[in-house]
Amino acid sequence: MPATLFQKVWDRHVLANTNEATLLYIDRHLVHEVTSPQAFDGLRLAGRKVRRPDLTFATIDHNVPTEDQLNIGDPLSRRQVETLRANAREFGVNFYDIQSGRQGIVHVIGPELGITLPGTTIVCGDSHTSTHGAFGALAFGIGTSEVEHVLATQTLWQGKRPAALGVEVTGTLPRGLEPKDIILAVIRAIGTAGGTGTVIEYYGPAIRALSMEGRMTVCNMSIEGGARAGLIAPDDVTFEYFSKTDRPYAPKGAALDAAIADWRTLATDPDAKYDSHVTIDASKLVPQVTWGTNPAMTVDADGRIPTLEELPSTLREEAGRAFQYMGLTPGTPVSEIPIDVVFIGSCTNGRIEDLRAAAQVMKGRKVAAGVRALVVPGSEQVRSQAHAEGLDRVFEEAGAEWRQAGCSMCLAMNPDRLQPGQRAASTSNRNFEGRQGPGGRTHLVSPSMAAAAAVTGRFTDVRRLLDA
Amino acid sequence: MNPFTVHRGKVAVLDWTDVNTDLIIPARYLKRIERVGYGPLLFADKRYAAGGAPPIDDPEKHGPLDPAFPLNRPENQGASVLVVGRNFGCGSSREHAVWAVAQGGYAVVIAPGKDEGFADIFEGNALNNGLLAVEIPQADWDRIVELAGPGGAEAVVDLQALKITVQKGPATVEVPFFIPETRRERLLQGLDAISETLLLEPNIDRYEKESAAWLRPATA
Repeated sequence: MPATLFQKVWDRHVLANTNEATLLYIDRHLVHEVTSPQAFDGLRLAGRKVRRPDLTFATIDHNVPTEDQLNIGDPLSRRQVETLRANAREFGVNFYDIQSGRQGIVHVIGPELGITLPGTTIVCGDSHTSTHGAFGALAFGIGTSEVEHVLATQTLWQGKRPAALGVEVTGTLPRGLEPKDIILAVIRAIGTAGGTGTVIEYYGPAIRALSMEGRMTVCNMSIEGGARAGLIAPDDVTFEYFSKTDRPYAPKGAALDAAIADWRTLATDPDAKYDSHVTIDASKLVPQVTWGTNPAMTVDADGRIPTLEELPSTLREEAGRAFQYMGLTPGTPVSEIPIDVVFIGSCTNGRIEDLRAAAQVMKGRKVAAGVRALVVPGSEQVRSQAHAEGLDRVFEEAGAEWRQAGCSMCLAMNPDRLQPGQRAASTSNRNFEGRQGPGGRTHLVSPSMAAAAAVTGRFTDVRRLLDA
Repeated sequence: MNPFTVHRGKVAVLDWTDVNTDLIIPARYLKRIERVGYGPLLFADKRYAAGGAPPIDDPEKHGPLDPAFPLNRPENQGASVLVVGRNFGCGSSREHAVWAVAQGGYAVVIAPGKDEGFADIFEGNALNNGLLAVEIPQADWDRIVELAGPGGAEAVVDLQALKITVQKGPATVEVPFFIPETRRERLLQGLDAISETLLLEPNIDRYEKESAAWLRPATA
């Protein structure tokens, strides 16, 4: 039977099938401080152990202050961080503490440490676990009860196998466009619930042309399209990620050769069918900017905010609330919207290539007067790499704040947050009301679009700056 | 987890689409490490008048309610059946969203559209907390909202008969529903998933013994 990549990875991990439910083995379990305390408590109450501490990897990211990681002022944040430290010790799981050289956003460190491997199942109490699908892993977010279940059993119950949604991205991404623009355009096309009940496979020439970093950005936001997971078939770009750089937990030498031989079999068979299918032409894309309070409310950077009449009648009520919350007049050109804050970072866009793209735009330019720009590496390793390349100096000379690793302003759980009414150009993944701080207004963009907004003080089509 | 068989309660309607988990419970409350106390935090940034949301460390302390928020209407007080719009619970994986809904007094949530009513992770989390999340066809949902929207309706949600009956005065709307059999069984029996899974331990052992050598993490 011809099978898709997703079916192959799923089928390898099925331990049991009962009517309409499937028990899957979980190869890697990532843990962070926010969604795990109640799970560890549950184990303690039941007198259970972590079945495979060697497959369980924990770090601290959501609560970490990025100005001074070691100085957690908020006692509740500190308590949450200390709770994970104590749980990691008590249950013997792998743990990367602040300033260990390996700490960072859980979805950034998983791949860079070689925890994430093609063909594996990966879960974490975090919806952006879909990021790891870039390697051809089946990776998805779970709730805290499920975290406890995986800790205790290294398995997870799922319904019957979800449908496979094929997202084909054809053509070549034009200059000034980034992987973020691809995924924003996909969500714009399918809607926030378009992927519900499905797992997405991204394929096509524009996907093949992406680096692993770019693929991670695309898969990261699968959840914003409603899908549990998004995958990309592993190829030579994937294999090089393991063979060119030392990834501590990844197989090496003969074991890596054996792994690659296996990983090559994971591609979707030519005769396999997706349950549904959409195509996006990358060569026709322009930089994307979200205008509203869900990630499908997106327009072209050279366009304008829609008017209510231009939207389908079913979306008008939600759009009306969004206009009001965002403080926007329908029909306003995107280029006329001034911004207060720029955030470059997060599990979507906090990797080295994202910082390079932002630096390319900021180099030799200054952050506009009255604008606050934060550049936050996704991990301690990304931060070191950026230092080695001199990117930190580019950002600081432009007048941006160069920070330490963490989730930062993606979500308002640490000191980095928007003030009520502030408008941000953000490389993160969610523009929900209050996401970056109560009353904050978020516009999602690519790193180079965020950098362009920083140096011009408003949304500016980055293609114009690159040509200048 | 308590078994769920039949639930009878007052119906409240919040017909907004794409209600995300940040709206259901803002991220700052996720700093709590407790498993209880989430009821007053449900819709914290919508439900209370400006500045009235509870402090993180004291959920019971809050300002006056915002009368404009639909669930604050007098006729919705004490409701335990929540009718919501499409794609409810989208966004993050936080189980705190389900804890807030359940501890906020709701036993059943009803949304329109097969596979579109609830975001996948929210639906799974609901199951693990004995909160019944039901997706029904749009037309049935419309009939329920028409009757219950103005308030004052009562519902009987019968998981054994797979039937929702909404009643207001002499008017009645009866809607069948479907949920996968395994989920239904787990809710009916209030089963603890971990104990159930451990009955399959030989399967887990076998996978671990037979899986490829490269799957084992290299020593780092």
